[in-house]
Amino acid sequence: MDIRVLQAADIPHVQSTNITNLPENYYLKYYLYHALSWPQLSFVAVDVSRPKRTPYDPPKIVGYVLAKMEEEPENGIQHGHITSLSVMRTHRRLGLAEKLMRQSQRAMVETFGAQYVSLHVRLSNTAALHLYKNTLGFEREKVEPSYYADGEDAHSMKMDLSFIRAQVDGEAGDEGDEVGDMGKK
Amino acid sequence: MSQQQQMQLGSKERSLFKQVVEHYEAKHFKKGIKFANQILTKNPNHGDTQAMKALIMNAQGNVEEAFVLCKAALKNAMKSHVCWHVYGVLWRCVKNYEEASKAYKFALKLEPESQQILRDLAILQMQMRDYEGYIKSRRMILQSSGPRGKNSNSRQNWTGLAVAQHLAGDLYDAERTLTTFEETLRNPPSKSDNEHSEAVLYKNTIIAEMGETERALDHLEAVFKNNLDRTAVMEMRAKYLLQLGRHQEAEKAYRALLERNADYRAYYDGLREALQLGTSDTESLKTLYDDWAKKSPRSDTPRRVPLDFLEGEEFRKAADQYLQQMLHKGVPSTFANIKALYSNSAKRDTIQELAESYLNGTHAPLMNGSSEKHTTGEEDSAPEKSPFDMAVLYFLAQHYNYHRSQNLAKAMELIDRAIAAQPDEVNFHMTRARIWKHRGNSRKASENMEKARSLDEKDRYINTKAAKYQLRNNENEAAIANMGKFTRKEAVGGPLGDLIEMQCMWYITEDGESYLRQGRLGLALKRFTCVYDIFDTWQEDQFDFHTFSLRKGQIRAYIDLVKWQDHLREHPFYSRAAICAVQIYVRLFDDPQLRDESLNGLNGSLDKMSPSEAKKAQKKARKAREKQEQADFEKADAKKTAGAGVDGESKKEDKDPKGAKLVGTAEPLVEAMKFLSPLLEFSPGNIAAQQVGFEVFLRRKKYIPALRCLSAARSIDSAHPRNHEQAIRLRRTLSTLAEALPPKISEALEAEFSPLVSP
Amino acid sequence: DPTEETPATAPPASAEDRKAAAALSSLDNQNDDSAAQTTKAKNIDQEALAKAISRLELSTGAKVEPSRQSENMKQFEERKRKRREEKERLAKVKVDAGDVGLLVQELELSKTKATDLLKAHEGDAVKAMRAFVTAPV
Repeated sequence: MDIRVLQAADIPHVQSTNITNLPENYYLKYYLYHALSWPQLSFVAVDVSRPKRTPYDPPKIVGYVLAKMEEEPENGIQHGHITSLSVMRTHRRLGLAEKLMRQSQRAMVETFGAQYVSLHVRLSNTAALHLYKNTLGFEREKVEPSYYADGEDAHSMKMDLSFIRAQVDGEAGDEGDEVGDMGKK
Repeated sequence: MSQQQQMQLGSKERSLFKQVVEHYEAKHFKKGIKFANQILTKNPNHGDTQAMKALIMNAQGNVEEAFVLCKAALKNAMKSHVCWHVYGVLWRCVKNYEEASKAYKFALKLEPESQQILRDLAILQMQMRDYEGYIKSRRMILQSSGPRGKNSNSRQNWTGLAVAQHLAGDLYDAERTLTTFEETLRNPPSKSDNEHSEAVLYKNTIIAEMGETERALDHLEAVFKNNLDRTAVMEMRAKYLLQLGRHQEAEKAYRALLERNADYRAYYDGLREALQLGTSDTESLKTLYDDWAKKSPRSDTPRRVPLDFLEGEEFRKAADQYLQQMLHKGVPSTFANIKALYSNSAKRDTIQELAESYLNGTHAPLMNGSSEKHTTGEEDSAPEKSPFDMAVLYFLAQHYNYHRSQNLAKAMELIDRAIAAQPDEVNFHMTRARIWKHRGNSRKASENMEKARSLDEKDRYINTKAAKYQLRNNENEAAIANMGKFTRKEAVGGPLGDLIEMQCMWYITEDGESYLRQGRLGLALKRFTCVYDIFDTWQEDQFDFHTFSLRKGQIRAYIDLVKWQDHLREHPFYSRAAICAVQIYVRLFDDPQLRDESLNGLNGSLDKMSPSEAKKAQKKARKAREKQEQADFEKADAKKTAGAGVDGESKKEDKDPKGAKLVGTAEPLVEAMKFLSPLLEFSPGNIAAQQVGFEVFLRRKKYIPALRCLSAARSIDSAHPRNHEQAIRLRRTLSTLAEALPPKISEALEAEFSPLVSP
Repeated sequence: DPTEETPATAPPASAEDRKAAAALSSLDNQNDDSAAQTTKAKNIDQEALAKAISRLELSTGAKVEPSRQSENMKQFEERKRKRREEKERLAKVKVDAGDVGLLVQELELSKTKATDLLKAHEGDAVKAMRAFVTAPV
């Protein structure tokens, strides 16, 4: 499976993967809104070993993370938000969800200076809760009553990203001393 | 409002007019109409007010009346730029971009300074891909507010001009425009300025597109350190180094990328090229991938890729290790990840031997003991129970179900053993359903998938699969009931309404194909037309981004969107539905009886009956249809009264629920062209598209396009049996024409056709 | 009052959907992050900007003196000039209105496409149709 940044041409199949796996679904335009506001943040897991039936077959999407920056962050602290994340049942236990999330989190810090990332998850979704809490390190902040269309409550969860900020600054330090001179060539 | 229009109104009406505009922009349409009518009661022929009212009516969906009113407004106020501007908007909404741009240009002549008209014209030209016009408009926007004007001060308008020039192919002009703006900046923008960081990368891609890779690399390295899109700059730099043959630096660059993401084949390919390793240097390639496998133990790619290039004993050893690791972890996608290798029969057989050896325990367990099972006293539990054995059973069942290694009896036997050991495992029942599918028994397949669904009511994935298999077995009611477990309760039009609103392409297409199989052509056409309409919506979705993206500054992503939109309908979601729709229209042309929806149930079997029987059957069918319609009517009525609280049926009540109008068309071949033209334009390499195109053109007596489809089909797959059959029919049609073709046509046909048919 | 409008689609129920709808409806409002725009505008040297605007008329086509043009740019401009000349040459090719009508009718092409096809084959309808049939997939 390949993990790479989401491109516009992937969106029809990302939308299809979403509506196959989850009840929270979106118009294609809402995916475009993510891809054209924060193109660095959304990633796809692609089944590259699958042979193409017609010359026009797009890559087979088996997982995705659709992520954004909060447009109006309260108290002005820049932070990322996970709009949607899912992996096909047939492609679980490959660590794809975790890999998608880590790539997205790093880009949130590098490109948009995010301090933390937030998301919502259904109280009943134990598998996702395990991934967020135990594998990735999210913490439960509060419960949002009847957040979902069918009235179910949601955990609002948060994860501090300063540990990534430290890595990024560390990497930047030892990358030699090119001085970025505003690209005046 | 234009001057002379304003003079006609008293001060009270003038303020009312301003409110009409505000209500329109705030989408308070009812209020907007109310205020407009107040003005019109005193000034019935006030053009600008009529135009604004037309604009609101159009937004409410009554397009025809809007056009009528707007034309009246234009008569009353020929010189009003407001009326011409509204007229342009109306044409744009019905996607007649030619007329819209004429109206906008006329409005602009009347009011050259209007930023709103200029911006609408620019966006329209971009939507039409009229790049020459777009450059002119972008230039006017920059200059229209004078040298110190607001427009020239905002970077987005400079970037807008550069985008227009870039898309028109004037790469040097585009670069110069971007550089010109950069040179007006007093000091470097802040490091967190995304607009600047992105504009600089955009310029870099333009330099690269010119083929000046050396200059692109220098330009990139000057901004490398501070640019905000780390992945992009690292990927671009590695690519340029590789293109310039600077292999040591390229190697370093690709290793740095792999440190960030060891699960992306493109980085390994880059590294391999930088190390100048051909696919035959399997030795050094193996070590390369093994290093990375050790470096990132949780990555699948460095373990899986060697199986593509290794052969013989090397392959067997690597495959053995890979399979055992995956099966010990019980990874469900192990087979999905391996099956592409089966195009090589030697590898297929090796994998089969290995898997069989795992099954009967004659395999050599992994030396490096990564199989955790050995430590947990696995021997004492029943032999079939260990996770490894279950994973092996599941793997082999899928293996014997796959067409390149098919043995359905064995597949069934293995999956049943797996189910006996773990009756509640959803994946096992899913595979069992697939085995029945390959046996051609759609009913059994549907039952087994429904069983799988029942084991996990909360998972939409298995719910989706169950509904799909129900549709394959033509159980439309059961399928929509299943889908209804996850659709939004308040959706208009119930579960199907929600699925259509949420653009659920797979369901709409499968539902259509199911109706097609049942000969219910009206409903089938309705579904495929729905797919067609969704693609129109998707094409329209780009509209707002022509301004949004310039403001947001993410230009490379916007160019990516534009390039994708230019071949949007090549997607199989479109071609699959379109081919079915065209096939239906061809049948409707050949067998006009099918156009009467009520006879569809008979599936065109009328011609086998004697006339009297046929009449009786038609009467019976029509009575059955009326009874059905009556039942539907009562059901819908009951639902409406029950749902009185809710808004009931929305304004857009579906006047043709069964698609009777669609199937009853008097011009099936004209309707077919609607689906066929994009099909042939965007998927010319799809042989089914060319074959169905031939059928349409032959019936429309357009023999040159028919011959074009035939020769395209031959170039795609010269051995396809249908090519020959269609060629014979074309030859027979041309030799038995009622009246001669125009001489130039027959000359062209003769020249191109005879070589095709001669053996 | 927002309730006055009865939307064609059901109002978004969950907080999730409301956020999505809000984001989409505000796609094209012009005034967000205007504060950031003004601070950036202050960083612009108005003199240089005024000069750039007036020079804008000049920057069409290859206005850079040939001596300073890179080799690649010369080839690029050469290709562009050839394309323009080809376009002018084709524009001059005379085509017979009858042939255009024939192609529009028989090949189901628009008038402009039919005319271009004819012009690309020196106005010879048969050659144009033969080329049309064997166009590569």
